[in-house]
Amino acid sequence: MKRSRFLIGTISGLAVGANTDHVFARALAAAPLPGLPGAANRVLVVLNLQGGNDGLNCVVPHGDPHYYQLRPSLAISQSDVLGIDAQLGFNPHMSALKTLYDRGMVAVVQGVGYPNPDHSHFRSTEIWQTAAPDRYEHTGWIGRYLDDANLPQSNLFNGVSLEPILPEVMVGTKVDVPAIASEAAYGLRIDRNPVQRQAYARLVNDNRLPFASPYLAHVMEIEDRSQRGSEELPRLIGGYRPAGAYPATPLGRSLALAAQIAGSNIGTRVIYEQHGSFDTHVNQLAVQNRLLAEFSDAMKAFYDDLAAHGNDGRVLTMTFSEFGRRIAENGSSGTDHGEASPLFLIGGGTKGGVYGTAPDLTQTNMGNVRFTVDFRSVYATILERWLGRPASHVLDGTFDQIAALA
Amino acid sequence: MLASATRTHVDVPGVVRPGGSLDAATALAPFDGVLDERRAAHLLRRAGFGGSPDDVRRLRGATPASAVDALVHFASTGGATPQNLYDPSALFRQYGVRGLRSLTSEQRRQLFKEIRRNEVRSTLALQLWWLNRMLTTPAPLQEKMALFFHGHFTTVAVQKGVSPAMVFAQNQLFRANALGNLRELTRAVSKDPAMLLYLDNAKNVAAHPNENYARELMELFTLGVDRFSENDVRESARAWTGWRVSRLTGTAFFNPRLHDDGTKTFLGKSGDFNGGDIVDVIFQQPDCARFFAAALLSLFVYDAPEPALVDGVARLLRAHDYELSPVVATILRSNVFFSRRAYRALVKSPVEFVVGAHRSLGVTEIDRSALPALRGMGQTLFYPPNVAGWPGGENWLTSQMMIARQNYLAGFVNVQLAATSTWLDAAPMDPAAATRALVAGLLQQDASPSAYAQLQSYLGGAGTSAIPMLNTENFPVRIHGAAYLTMAMPAYQLA
Repeated sequence: MKRSRFLIGTISGLAVGANTDHVFARALAAAPLPGLPGAANRVLVVLNLQGGNDGLNCVVPHGDPHYYQLRPSLAISQSDVLGIDAQLGFNPHMSALKTLYDRGMVAVVQGVGYPNPDHSHFRSTEIWQTAAPDRYEHTGWIGRYLDDANLPQSNLFNGVSLEPILPEVMVGTKVDVPAIASEAAYGLRIDRNPVQRQAYARLVNDNRLPFASPYLAHVMEIEDRSQRGSEELPRLIGGYRPAGAYPATPLGRSLALAAQIAGSNIGTRVIYEQHGSFDTHVNQLAVQNRLLAEFSDAMKAFYDDLAAHGNDGRVLTMTFSEFGRRIAENGSSGTDHGEASPLFLIGGGTKGGVYGTAPDLTQTNMGNVRFTVDFRSVYATILERWLGRPASHVLDGTFDQIAALA
Repeated sequence: MLASATRTHVDVPGVVRPGGSLDAATALAPFDGVLDERRAAHLLRRAGFGGSPDDVRRLRGATPASAVDALVHFASTGGATPQNLYDPSALFRQYGVRGLRSLTSEQRRQLFKEIRRNEVRSTLALQLWWLNRMLTTPAPLQEKMALFFHGHFTTVAVQKGVSPAMVFAQNQLFRANALGNLRELTRAVSKDPAMLLYLDNAKNVAAHPNENYARELMELFTLGVDRFSENDVRESARAWTGWRVSRLTGTAFFNPRLHDDGTKTFLGKSGDFNGGDIVDVIFQQPDCARFFAAALLSLFVYDAPEPALVDGVARLLRAHDYELSPVVATILRSNVFFSRRAYRALVKSPVEFVVGAHRSLGVTEIDRSALPALRGMGQTLFYPPNVAGWPGGENWLTSQMMIARQNYLAGFVNVQLAATSTWLDAAPMDPAAATRALVAGLLQQDASPSAYAQLQSYLGGAGTSAIPMLNTENFPVRIHGAAYLTMAMPAYQLA
C-alpha cells in the first residue's frame, strides 16, 4: 500500500527494452562475465545525493568552452578545478575525494541516466530506487536483491537504512530492513524495566484482536522487531572503535555508524543513507560547494577508518542522484531539473578512473545532458561483480556491465 | 518493511481491507446508525486528534449527522496567537537597502547568523504553540485540516528567507481556509510569501523563468505526476513571473515589469495567462478533483482508496465547486467512513500520536519534551522532509520511528504524568476492573483476551504472579505503567 498512487493502474506507452546499442567507449567490458565472486563479507553502501546533484559542477568539463558559455556566473574556472586530465576535473571543494581518486579508489561513471527521463524529484527518485523506469513498481532493487540472496532470516540487520524514513530502494517482500538513526536513538527505554519489558513483548505480539486493519500485522511486526533489534544492536556493534575523527556533519556521523556496522561483521550486506538537498534552483555555488565538501570530507574519513580496520577492500560505496541539472544556468544563480549526470563508485575494490563518455553540451535533450550509460548497467555490475547475485534475478532485461569493478 | 503480507481480499492491487468489496453506490450515503463508543472515538480520531473517555461518552448515542455538524461548524479563526514571533523584516528596515549593501561580508555573515538563531528559536516556540492549539482547540477539525494543508502545500521554515512570521501567516491561511474553497486556497497559497520563497517563485522573472513552483503546483499540489507535459511546466512558469517578496516588509507584491505578458499555451488552453488563470485552468481538469478526492479519502477514511470511491468524492467536489465543508461533512457521515474497512485503517502520524496521547488522558498541556521526540518519530512541524510533505501511512512504520514513539510514551506516561492528575488516578483498585477501565478508556476495548490477562497480571492480580498485589502504595506507579503498556499496543498506533 506504499505510495498508493503508484499502485493504481499501469503506465503505458513507455515500454523500453534493454539498451544494447549504446556506445560505451572503453567503459564496458567486452569480455564474458567472470564467475560470480564469492561475496560473503562484502558490503554495499548506497548514498543518495538527494535533490538532483549538478553533475557539471561536480565533475567539471573544464576543457569544454560550451560549459563556460552556458554557465556565465556558475562555471568553475579552469584554474580552480582539481584536474583529472585536460578535459575533466573535480569541484575544488572535493579535494578529499580527489585524494581517494589519486589512490585509485574512485571510479567516475559519466552520463548515467535512463530513457525518457522524468523531471519530477519523486518519480525520478522512485525510478532510480525501483530500477523500473517503464512501470510502477513498489519494491526497490536492493530490497529484491536482499530477498534473492538467501540471507539468514534470523539476522535483523541484513540491510540497514541510516535514514529514519525507509527509502523505497530497501523495500522487498521477504527481508525487513530496519531504519537506524544512531546507536543511541535505537534503544527502547523500557528495556531498563524488566517487568514492563516482558509485558510489552507479549502485548505487541497479541494477534487475536476484535478488529481488522490493513496495517495491524505490520505494526505488530515493527514493534516486535524494534524491541529485539534495540536489544541486539549494542551487543553486536558496541565493540567497534573508529580509528580517526569524522567531520561533525550529519553525513560524517552517519558514515561513522556505517563503518561501525560494516566493521562489526554482523552480516549486513547493504547500508543506505542520504545527503542533501542538492536542489539548487537558486544560489547554487554556495549550497552545492558546501554539500560536496561535506560529502568528500566524510567519504575520506570513512575510507580512512575502514582502511585502518582492514575493511576498505570489502566496502563499496555507490552514489546516485535522481537527475543532474539543466546545462544552462537559470536567472537565479541556480539550475533547474536536468537529466543524466555522473555517479561515483568508491572503495578498495574499484578500478579507479573515468568510465563512459563526457557529456556532449551541444547535442542535448532540450538543454539537458543525454544519458550514455543506463543506470541499470551500474546496478547489474554491482549485483554480479560485487554482491555475487545474477542481475537477472533483480532487474528486468539484461544490461552491459561496466569495467569499474574488478 | 514488507510490501506484501498474507491477504484475503483485494480491491486495489496490493491492498487488503476487511469487510468484503466496496459498495460504491452506497459508500457515500449517510450512515443511519447511532454512535457507540467505538464509532464516537473513531470520529474523534479522524476529524481531530482523538478524545478522552469523557469526550467519547458525550458523543455516545448521537447521530452521525448531529456529531458531524458540531465538528464542521466552527468560528473561522480566533484564539490566542503565539507571542514574540520573530520577524527579521524590522531589522532589514532598520538597515535599509543601502545599509545592507554596505555591510562587509563578515558583518553580513554575523547578521544572518544572528537572524538564523532567532528564527530557529522562534520556530521551536511556534511548534509548541501549534501542538498546544491542536490539543486545546474547540475546533479540532480546523487544526486537522491546517495540518493536512501544511503537509500538502509544503513549506520548510528557516531557509530561503522564510521567516517564522511568514510561516505563521501561512499557518493562519490554512486555518482560515480549513473548510473553505480549494481553488481559492490554492490561489492564495500561490501568493503567500513563505511559498513564494520556498519554491523560488519569487525569483521567477520574464527574462529567466524558474520552473520550481510551476512544476510542484501541478505534480504535488493539484494534479499528480504524469498529468501534464514538460511544456505545460515551462508555460506555467512564464505565467507566474513577476511575483516578489519584499525583505523590508516580509510581504508579497506583483511587479508587472518582471511579468511575461505574452501568450501561453497551458493544458490545451491559450491566452495571456497570469498565475490566477493557471489555477483556474488546473481546477477545470477532472484530474484535479480526483487528486484532491484521493487526498481527502486518505486523510479521513483509508489509504489507497478505490477508484470508484475517488470518483464519487471527485463528483462531489465539482458539484460543490471545490467547497470543502459540504464534501468533508458528507465523507464523515458516510457508510464507508463508519464501515469496518475504515476502522483503525490509518496509521497515526507522530503529531496525531503525541497530541492524541494527551487527549486520551485528558492532559491539557504539551511540554517541550515533545519537540525532540517528534523529530525522532519523523515529523517536525514546519520542517517536512521535502516539498512532498510527509509520506505517511506505512512510512511511519520503521523500527527507529517506533522506538522513538515508545520512548516518548514511556517518559510521558511513566514519568511526566506521575505528578499530574488524570482520570487514571480514579481507576479502580481491583486489577481486573482497572484493566477494563484502561482498555475501554484508551482502546475502546480493542484488545484480545490475552492482552486483558497480561495487563491484569502486570497490575498484580494474577494470583500466582510474583508481582505484589495492587495497593494504595504501589497504585500510582503500577497504573501509569499499565496505561503505558495499553498505549504501546499495536491498536493504539492506528487511527
